[in-house]
Amino acid sequence: MAWESLKQRRFRTSLTTLGVVIGITAIIALASLGEGFRVTIREQMEQGFELNVLTVMSGGLLTGVGSYFTDDDVRNISKIEGVAVAAPLLQKSAVKLYNNETHKNSTALVMLGVNFAEFWLIYPERLLFENGSLPTSIANNTLIIGYNVEHPKETETFAYTNQNVTVEIALSRTRFENYTFNLAGTIGKSGAAGFINFDDTIFVPLEAARQIFDTDRADMIFVKLSDPSYSDSVTTQIKELFPAQEVRVLVPSAFMEQVESVLNMVEIFLTSIASIALLVAGLGIMNIMTVSVMERTREIGILKAIGAKSRTVLTMFLTEAALIGIMGGLIGVPLGYAMANVLSHLMYRYSAGFTPSRSIITGSRSHPLAAVTPILTPQLAIGAIAFALVVSVIFGWYPARKAAKLNPVEALRYE
Amino acid sequence: MPLATILEAKGVKKTYTMGKVLVPALRDVSLRVEEGEFVAIFGPSGSGKSTLLHVLGGLDRPDEGDVFIDGIGLSTLNDNRLAEVRLRKIGFVFQFFNLLPRLTALRNVELPLTLADVSEREAVEKAKEVLKIVGLEERINHRPTELSGGEQQRVAIARALVNEPKIVLADEPTGNLDTATGLDITALMKRLNQEKRQTFVVVTHDENVAKTADRIFQLRDGLIRRAQKEDARL
Repeated sequence: MAWESLKQRRFRTSLTTLGVVIGITAIIALASLGEGFRVTIREQMEQGFELNVLTVMSGGLLTGVGSYFTDDDVRNISKIEGVAVAAPLLQKSAVKLYNNETHKNSTALVMLGVNFAEFWLIYPERLLFENGSLPTSIANNTLIIGYNVEHPKETETFAYTNQNVTVEIALSRTRFENYTFNLAGTIGKSGAAGFINFDDTIFVPLEAARQIFDTDRADMIFVKLSDPSYSDSVTTQIKELFPAQEVRVLVPSAFMEQVESVLNMVEIFLTSIASIALLVAGLGIMNIMTVSVMERTREIGILKAIGAKSRTVLTMFLTEAALIGIMGGLIGVPLGYAMANVLSHLMYRYSAGFTPSRSIITGSRSHPLAAVTPILTPQLAIGAIAFALVVSVIFGWYPARKAAKLNPVEALRYE
Repeated sequence: MPLATILEAKGVKKTYTMGKVLVPALRDVSLRVEEGEFVAIFGPSGSGKSTLLHVLGGLDRPDEGDVFIDGIGLSTLNDNRLAEVRLRKIGFVFQFFNLLPRLTALRNVELPLTLADVSEREAVEKAKEVLKIVGLEERINHRPTELSGGEQQRVAIARALVNEPKIVLADEPTGNLDTATGLDITALMKRLNQEKRQTFVVVTHDENVAKTADRIFQLRDGLIRRAQKEDARL
């Protein structure tokens, strides 16, 4: 009955349905783009953060307090339940390198003094060698360099393994000293962990760095957890080891959660705006159905006279509204997804006109928007259709109720 | 064999307000119709005939008094139960046929069965059967606009009969038809009355219809003036 009645008013039904289609298209387009954006960001962040690696820093990161952590601190941290490895680091900035044999130059933004074996246990998958390998016996002058140090320009190679490299290190603002290292290996593109970009880093043994800087301490401790779920408990216990406010623990999962919640809010905000379109469509349904009830007053009178209950009439009109909603939803979902893909493509094309920006997080020279693929989850699709249905029924309720309440005698008299 | 009372009206009063004026449509109407009777309610326009039929059929409620259909007092029923009585116990035939214009003859006749939750297959079968009885088996897939007035009224009669009601209430069934077609329709109703013992109450100002009736109630100014027997001359 409801279906036949809609078919009879094909043009009007199409226009009403179109309203719902537009609403659902907008919702799906924005929500699936938002979801795609979120996943892209998450992937980029996951590349930048090992979720099971905490960074412990002294509270004076910004105030420039020197090396803080003792070897005892490292040992205490490594005893905490859930800690797999605790690796101390000395971090120094900006060094110049000179290849004694080829006379080429290069620069590194960061010099890290690490225990190679421990440090490679923390990032076994990230720090892969392009040339050479992790030396089994580590001499005091062993050097490993990052991708950008090895390749100051894409086509240039700074040094090969076993070559001797002179490193100019700033011991103070004015005092520079040269040290000679032997290159054991170079690592491929690795990106950044937290705020250290490994591609711009050179690695020297912790002991060598300590001798150079005359200290027995460490600037940071990288803590690898046996599982990311230990993040909170380990963080708490580490803080308990030190006087209040003196250390900071960078917890990637907590940071990720914050970013996720911001992205969630953005997605909800976009979807809410799109929902307004659907509400307008709902008003359209209400309008059309009110007209339809007036036009069909006599028909309703006939139905009630021959024994249709009010509920039957109500159901009939609500079914019509629901059909419009479902049809609109079914058309709108694929259309919205298609639109999201078109939008994503256009955004890419448009932004490709500019110089590709360098991603802050990964340090790679990838196109930041290249990877935004809209994502349509089944939940989103079903949710959108259900939303269209609910809106249609809610807005169809008033006219349907009006139809159901018609007095049969008056309705029959209606011309 | 004692006759069962199918329809009884007791002291029915109904007043309309038109603007500020009170118009008494039914002043005090009591009547009784037995099973298998063909009864005419005869009167000039404005005598309250249609109002009486609406009240008798549970389409409208009286201000005072009560109507009993097959022993059920309509005043005690809520709107839903009243609809149920209209669906199962009463068949309506109207002056302007009141078919649904978008549906074929068959679908129009099926409608009361659909409302009564009869299965689609059974409904089609039953509707075809009744359409054959009223002589329209060839026209079942036509829409009302493709049918003549007489044919439309036959569809309406089929629709009224399809749920096997206790009583058929007809409101000026010949009022919108030419004389010859009106006689056909009257004859059809009489035949159904005689062959199927279908009870009919026909509101009319058509003498030809009234003549066919077993009994005639004369309605004037909202009051039953006379009840005449079958052989009475008008």
